[in-house]
Amino acid sequence: MNTMINIILAIPISAVICLLLLASVDFFWKLPKAGGVSGAKVIGKEIEKKGGDINGGWMIGNIISSPDASAGTLLAACGYYIWGIPGAVISIILVYIGARICADKGYAGTSGCILATLVIWVLTTFAGFPPESFIAGCVIAIFFIEGISSKYASRILGKIWRRVS
Amino acid sequence: MEESIMIVEGICVVIAVYCALRAVFEKNTLLKFPFLNVMNFAVTGAIVLLLPYPITIGVAIAYFVGSTLESNAIASTISTLEAI
Amino acid sequence: MDLILILAVLLSLIGGIATVSVRSPFDKLICLGILTSGGVLFMVEKGYLDVAICIALLMPIGTLFILLLLGKKQEVPK
Repeated sequence: MNTMINIILAIPISAVICLLLLASVDFFWKLPKAGGVSGAKVIGKEIEKKGGDINGGWMIGNIISSPDASAGTLLAACGYYIWGIPGAVISIILVYIGARICADKGYAGTSGCILATLVIWVLTTFAGFPPESFIAGCVIAIFFIEGISSKYASRILGKIWRRVS
Repeated sequence: MEESIMIVEGICVVIAVYCALRAVFEKNTLLKFPFLNVMNFAVTGAIVLLLPYPITIGVAIAYFVGSTLESNAIASTISTLEAI
Repeated sequence: MDLILILAVLLSLIGGIATVSVRSPFDKLICLGILTSGGVLFMVEKGYLDVAICIALLMPIGTLFILLLLGKKQEVPK
């Protein structure tokens, strides 16, 4: 294992990587297209009423109310930080069980967790990222999606969704 | 005490307190949920950074799934009560 | 680990004072969630991990029961 990158440099890069992972897995499972669980539908409608975008609002609602790729990425990072690859495998299994408990019919959470484990393993082994930088990266990525202003974030997400789909 | 872990802890603490305060002071009930969700992400990270033992993975996942279920239940109840 | 202890104290205080101050019942339930986050952090910090799992899984079930009662209370007068 080569030397670790300085953590102050690793956190912004891992934030961008987590954001890309999150958005691409959610777009792959078509989460912004329709409502999903009823909690997601009502949050999406409220964001649209306050001036946001309906597709972006549905995606933010799905991030909140159902275990999607955001949960998978964060818990994969936590599992990898504690125990390496066996820890990440434990978190994949527990995320799968948790998704069944939440009565979620899709596989966005589990697939996000598996993809995030692969990406984190590659970056930690071959590029010297410290594992805790991915936890900070996930939290910062979600903060930029939901924590500053859901209205403008939903507009950006909606525009990207309509261009991609 | 490693410096890199303290920076990550600092980020989780600042984001959690900021979003908890914004969730309390927001007027619209349904728009409190995004801030609550960010706070739950940050607290899950803080749990894992506090005691890095293998059982802590179980605590973090139990807390996160519980928070998702709770947010979904409250939002779903608000939607059925508004429909009436 | 001193920093996360400060986070637990702040979250419990914010959650507790906000639960007493806000008016609407849904807002009170949300602020109870903030309070239990502080509680779980205290439990983990002292090493009681199984108690933390129990609190984290049982408080949402309690919230679900309160929501069922809220639904019936608003339904009965109609």
